[in-house]
Amino acid sequence: MATPSAPTTERTASADTPTPLSRVIAYLRPMGTPLGSVLFAFVVGAIVVVATRGNALLAYESLACGGFGIFCQNGENTALQLSNTLVFTTPLILTGLAVAVAFRAGLFNIGAEGQLVMGAIAAAVVGIKLGTWPALILLPSVLIAGTLAGAAYGGLAGVLKAVTGAHEVVTTIMLNYVALWASRYLIIGGPLQAPGAFNASPPVAAGAQLPRLVPLNNNLLFGLPQSVFTAYTGIFVSLFGAAIYFFIMRRTALGYEITAVGQSQRAARYAGISVRRTIVVTMLISGAFAGLAGAVVLSGLSHSLVDTYFQDTTGFDAIAVSLLGQNTAIGVVLAAILFGALHAGGQVMEADAQISHNLVFVLEALVLFSLAANFLRTFKFRLPAFGRSPTQPAELEAQDVVVGAADEPG
Amino acid sequence: MNALLIILGLFKSPDVYHSTLTYGTLLLLPALGGVISERSGVVNIAMEGMMLTGAFFAVVADLAWHNVWLAVLVAIIAGGFMALIHAVVSIRYHADQIVSGVAINIVAAGLTVFLLNQFYGVQEIGSVAPQFLIPNIKVPVLDAIPFIGPIFFEQNLVVYIAIILLVAINIILFRTRLGLRLRAVGEHPSAADTAGINVYTLRYGAVIASGLLSGLAGAFLSIGLSNTFVPNMTDGRGYIALAAMIFGKWTPLGAFAACLIFGLGQAIYDNTSIIPISPYFLSMLPYILTLVVLAGLVGRSIPPAADGIPYEPGNE
Amino acid sequence: MTTPTPSPASPASADTASLAVDMRSIVKAWPGVVANDHVNFEVRRGEIHALVGENGAGKTTLMNILYGLIRRDAGDIFVNGKLAHIQGPRDAIALGIGMVHQHFMLIPVLTVGENIVLGREPTTAGDIYDAARVRQEIGELSRRYGLTLNPDDKMGDLPVGLQQRAEIVKVLYRGAEILIMDEPTGVLTPQETTELFHVLRGLRAGGKTIIFISHKLKEVLDISDRITVMRRGKVVGHLITATTTEQEIARLMVGRDVLLRVDKAPANPGPVALAVEGLTAASDSNVPALRGVSFEVRQGEILGIAGVEGNGQSELIEVLAGTRKASSGRVLLGGKEITNLSARAIRSRGISHIPEDRRGAGLVLNYSVADNLVLGRQRSARFAWNGFVLMLNAILAWAKRLIAEFDIRTPTPETRARALSGGNQQKIIVAREMASEPLVLLASQPTRGVDIGAIEFIHRRIVAQRDHGVAVLLVSAELDEIRSLSDRIAVMYEGRIVSFEAAETPEERLGLLMTGGGRADAAASKVAG
Repeated sequence: MATPSAPTTERTASADTPTPLSRVIAYLRPMGTPLGSVLFAFVVGAIVVVATRGNALLAYESLACGGFGIFCQNGENTALQLSNTLVFTTPLILTGLAVAVAFRAGLFNIGAEGQLVMGAIAAAVVGIKLGTWPALILLPSVLIAGTLAGAAYGGLAGVLKAVTGAHEVVTTIMLNYVALWASRYLIIGGPLQAPGAFNASPPVAAGAQLPRLVPLNNNLLFGLPQSVFTAYTGIFVSLFGAAIYFFIMRRTALGYEITAVGQSQRAARYAGISVRRTIVVTMLISGAFAGLAGAVVLSGLSHSLVDTYFQDTTGFDAIAVSLLGQNTAIGVVLAAILFGALHAGGQVMEADAQISHNLVFVLEALVLFSLAANFLRTFKFRLPAFGRSPTQPAELEAQDVVVGAADEPG
Repeated sequence: MNALLIILGLFKSPDVYHSTLTYGTLLLLPALGGVISERSGVVNIAMEGMMLTGAFFAVVADLAWHNVWLAVLVAIIAGGFMALIHAVVSIRYHADQIVSGVAINIVAAGLTVFLLNQFYGVQEIGSVAPQFLIPNIKVPVLDAIPFIGPIFFEQNLVVYIAIILLVAINIILFRTRLGLRLRAVGEHPSAADTAGINVYTLRYGAVIASGLLSGLAGAFLSIGLSNTFVPNMTDGRGYIALAAMIFGKWTPLGAFAACLIFGLGQAIYDNTSIIPISPYFLSMLPYILTLVVLAGLVGRSIPPAADGIPYEPGNE
Repeated sequence: MTTPTPSPASPASADTASLAVDMRSIVKAWPGVVANDHVNFEVRRGEIHALVGENGAGKTTLMNILYGLIRRDAGDIFVNGKLAHIQGPRDAIALGIGMVHQHFMLIPVLTVGENIVLGREPTTAGDIYDAARVRQEIGELSRRYGLTLNPDDKMGDLPVGLQQRAEIVKVLYRGAEILIMDEPTGVLTPQETTELFHVLRGLRAGGKTIIFISHKLKEVLDISDRITVMRRGKVVGHLITATTTEQEIARLMVGRDVLLRVDKAPANPGPVALAVEGLTAASDSNVPALRGVSFEVRQGEILGIAGVEGNGQSELIEVLAGTRKASSGRVLLGGKEITNLSARAIRSRGISHIPEDRRGAGLVLNYSVADNLVLGRQRSARFAWNGFVLMLNAILAWAKRLIAEFDIRTPTPETRARALSGGNQQKIIVAREMASEPLVLLASQPTRGVDIGAIEFIHRRIVAQRDHGVAVLLVSAELDEIRSLSDRIAVMYEGRIVSFEAAETPEERLGLLMTGGGRADAAASKVAG
């Protein structure tokens, strides 16, 4: 087309001298789509509750109570609710990052759950078999073992994609089942079964456990015995993971290349970036985050390998977490807190409002629909194009969403 | 070695073949749905959720109206409704079809248990049993054929229907005008559009058809085979059907062959009580098999060219 | 009538009933650009009417409106004198309008017959596709218009020329009386073009009306009866082919006399920088694209590769840039072999590359201007500490420098490349590739689809690179560009360099060489093709 550059220059004359207000707006704009999607989900969710003769207000009040300790009807303890939310949030941050890094490269990692399970298995093996090691060495070993196992498992999907072209969506789904059945096999009649237990491994050694935030004893804290606060120091591991993610994506050539491959494989190839290698490396990193999540939960919460077959949804929730967080480090953390709160709140909702906590999954799916379909249309938001057509460059985010600032220098 | 001999021993009785056909059919229905949907250019990983929804509403209707046919109908409609959501989101709103599919699967898993709770007050560990079941049908005369008879002619009604659908869909897809247009839309929607074919209508139809078929499979599962609804009872069968569709190179007959292989796995698994291998270990095998085949299919299994790409007219 | 009639043309000149197509005051605006600005367009029945203009002048938009693929914002369309309500292709087809698109609307996995009848398939009872009748009807059409095709062939197996033939038969099968041909010769070999023109004349003799979109003036003069010229969304002239000249059309198209002369001093070639010996390579569809290419480029010299598009130029550049593998032959950079090294290795050895597909291959459109300016060098010591941690300040400073130096019109270095005009996008690539101080610069269609101002700028820069001692290999479909920039010209035809020519070689001779003529052994090479 001729020269539309003139209006562009004109429009941005004001952008060169940003006012404080325009800066605030610029920071808030990327949150428009996610917040709108959450709102949409809650509105439709309320309709579902009312349609099934439930009390939507009571449901949401009890959700808020369970998640954040506010609007409580039955004298729930605010600190306890926040602790519960933190328990759910901790691994969600890591799996959310796992899915997000894959999205950045245009890959859809539905296998975070499987990678998480593999991480947990490896962490359990190390924590049990090497239990005599001193804690100073054992605890890092447990976390590293989980990270490596997850990386290997994610990397497997990456290799399959890079070498044979097998689509990662299908392979990671299959790998989920393999991992889940493998963990079942190990703890039910298999080599990791604890004596006398039906479906659990023995606990890992004390030195392999991430400490709780508050010491485990019956001293009173906020009016409750300290032992009920299960929140653990894994949250710091997760936040550290988010910092690593931020660093990789924003400050390294690797992050630059991952995003370039996700945006346009063709342009990446022309720039001398090896697309295959980048795919494999991305899936290694992705699996590493998910594997670490498994190790963190095992080391800090469950302490032994238990049967999580479809009871644990951390790896699947991660898809919503990363999309809602628009694949940025801060966004993922915020979205993980939201979903952590919803899961924690779901339990209170079930008790106080007699509404199944499964409503949370309905809300989660509605958020996904809204994000993917962009019902709001206020901002343009696109996912990577998973088609094979190289003529259609993938768009992680469109111009308007400032999320892309994560890739921009300065 | 011992285990292998026991497994080989199973093949002497018609039972294992009978079960293979039954389980294969259960996978065939959603796989056919996947073939139709993806041939039209809409990626569908939501057969799992549509099937689960069908399974749930079959039981609900069964208990509400005490009529198995009504229950099957309601299951089919429920599957179709979930598919309609997938269709609207991914066709009308050009959403990423994998995200939409994931969302369908999550909403199905959550909603069925949520409603189970709302309707029957059962916590999710519990289950609800239907009263009326889809009958098994013995085909007179033919069922008397030794060995063959029990395998093919003493099946559930849905098995016969599925086989008829298999043949019909194969003919429709490759021999009729409708099928030609459907494939054209999935390969090159602009070409179809410029030829005066309504891309959206065909895609909507194809996606909804995949939901109807998956819904029927769900009914087969809950009021045909299991006689109960338990949370998450599809247990990945929709995903296996997806894999079968890929092995079958997006053709009905190919998908059926793949479904039979998976069905055989399930049939053998049924006999774990006499096989000295951990059933959990055995359960991994179909998925590992899927991965091996997927990896080996390099460049030989090519999806429809426009599969997964939302169509926006004039965007050429 | 050699002077263009003022626009809008008075419709009184032709009696309305004799007009096959009469588009009145058509308006279509996209965000930021008016593609059609009150366009009047008249086509008489039974003529071949050329619609010409530069890329982006609005020709294709106008035709997509006529065919119902795009909704117009305002204006009326009359077909055969009657007001037409065209909401979609179906309506256009019903009115007897057919369109052969620039990018074929063909489905490779279906048969030729299925492709042709798609949308109007003959069926027997029960919706069953009637293959026998398809064969019979296509056979009839083929015979009537001399367009031989086998309906049972798989479309994807056919050469481009036959695919286009299938497109034409497809349109005829739908009973089209008015055929829109959108840039039909862009993908054809000269022989195929000749054949196509033969077919078009036959169709005209059979009473069909043809709208021929092109920016190739020689072809337009050769085939058309009348010409409508568009520029920047407006009709700027109606011409009668018999009484106009190439210069006149060109002046209307571009808006001033085109004289793409570039002021440059004589070349001062140094030692050989890039040597290519007997290179062969296959195309994407796995047919031989390079059949033994050999040449040398010296330092401080521009070697221009002239040729009709699709004769192996793209593949040659890709092999040299490392994004396509050579099947035999050697590439030497400063005497050292670099054949089939990776794109990264080739880049790091000093070969820069301005790719022909700007938006797809040259830029990450959602990356900022600054990020695009380091694309391919993101691991260099200059921008990344230990090749890993990006030095954001260095990148920003670098971007600011190049933005100023190459006059890239962008609001900020952080603006996404997507938001810039084509010319400024191309300047990003040019800046990046030149600023890396290469030994060899591969420039492929460096000014395609770029506005005049940017063209002049880019041309000056390419010459400056040469004067700086860089060996430049220039590929362009624009003969003018090749002639004005190159110090030597290599003519490429069917995967071979058929001749080396001096820069002053007359256009006629180059044209002849590009189409396989002009050499003693031309006949032989035609047989080989």
